[in-house]
Amino acid sequence: MASANKNASKKQFTFVLAAIAVVGAAALGYVAMRPAAGGEAIDPNMPLGTAQGFLMGSPDAPVKIVEFADFECPGCAQFAMLTEPDVRARLVKTGIVSMQFYVFPLPMHKNTWSASNAAYCAHEQGKFWEMHDRLFYTQDLWNSLATSNPDKKMKGYAADIALDAGKFEECYDSKRNYPNIKASGAEAEKLLIDQTPSIIIGGKKYSEGINYDMIKKHVDEELARLAKTEPAKKGAK
Amino acid sequence: MTRRMLIATLALIGLYVAMYLWLYKLGIIGSLSCKIGSCEKVNTSPWAVLFGVPVAFWGVLYYVGLFASACLCTVDRFAADRRAALLLAVLTGWGVLFSGWLTWLELAVIHAVCMYCVISAILVVVMFALSVAEVRATRSVGQNTSE
Repeated sequence: MASANKNASKKQFTFVLAAIAVVGAAALGYVAMRPAAGGEAIDPNMPLGTAQGFLMGSPDAPVKIVEFADFECPGCAQFAMLTEPDVRARLVKTGIVSMQFYVFPLPMHKNTWSASNAAYCAHEQGKFWEMHDRLFYTQDLWNSLATSNPDKKMKGYAADIALDAGKFEECYDSKRNYPNIKASGAEAEKLLIDQTPSIIIGGKKYSEGINYDMIKKHVDEELARLAKTEPAKKGAK
Repeated sequence: MTRRMLIATLALIGLYVAMYLWLYKLGIIGSLSCKIGSCEKVNTSPWAVLFGVPVAFWGVLYYVGLFASACLCTVDRFAADRRAALLLAVLTGWGVLFSGWLTWLELAVIHAVCMYCVISAILVVVMFALSVAEVRATRSVGQNTSE
């Protein structure tokens, strides 16, 4: 009787393991093979272009904030939607701070190059920040979980922000900014940026717990530091 | 099913969770599907790499080892072996400590929680509880035998 129970238990165990193995392998196979996971193949031998930061605010603002972000990174979208509006309203518009945005496309994000391409092409028509906002606010509609071909979405966003469709499409389809996007990523790597979003205030890098209060604190520290050094410089003159 | 079989079953589930995160780190699956928490923030943080290797890969190795050990411990020969129960308790206890450290990092340093890390932490805690129960059961078997 005990032996029969033991055999039944072993059979049950084998069946459960086999079921989990099959379901697990099928689930992993699906997420790895689904069309949305394919994404765009980026030529590793592509030449490096020029790393370009997109500026918001006065270039003469006393404090410079540099941001490195990936358009498909959810943390970056969270930063753009929750923290950046305060930074823009309270620090950039008041002339205290200027913000410079560099794209840092991460390898696991398959549609981030398309989004960066759209942002660069929008910049050619002077609307980088409008596209930046559109991309982050709609991230879940075009990311690699949502689609394997985000081109239609990107062209739709260009229309939404009233870009010249012909010029945008010519720029977007030519991919002429890809070397510049690669250069921007290389710049991030050169600065040992290992997380997105990362911001640099007064030469110091921050990536953990970035919120408005934290940014304001570091901006105030930088202002205080500048206030100490500027009179000394003036005195030296 | 015996407790050891349950541990093996849970370890297999944990193995798939770790493999999913590892495939993400390898760039094979695109974005993480994450309905709760900020999985990408955690998995793209510097803390997602340990000794130059993604933490997810260490997770895969851990669960492979645990699954193999638990399966071995279900063999009749080791059924009443207290050392086998102790081995599982040590392995799952290590998993609890490591998961505890990762959870602390998520809450106190990264300020984001990854749903898959939480699932893995729950799995190791349950497996540890089962292992402790197994150690106690084999002790009482040993005592009964010696009496």
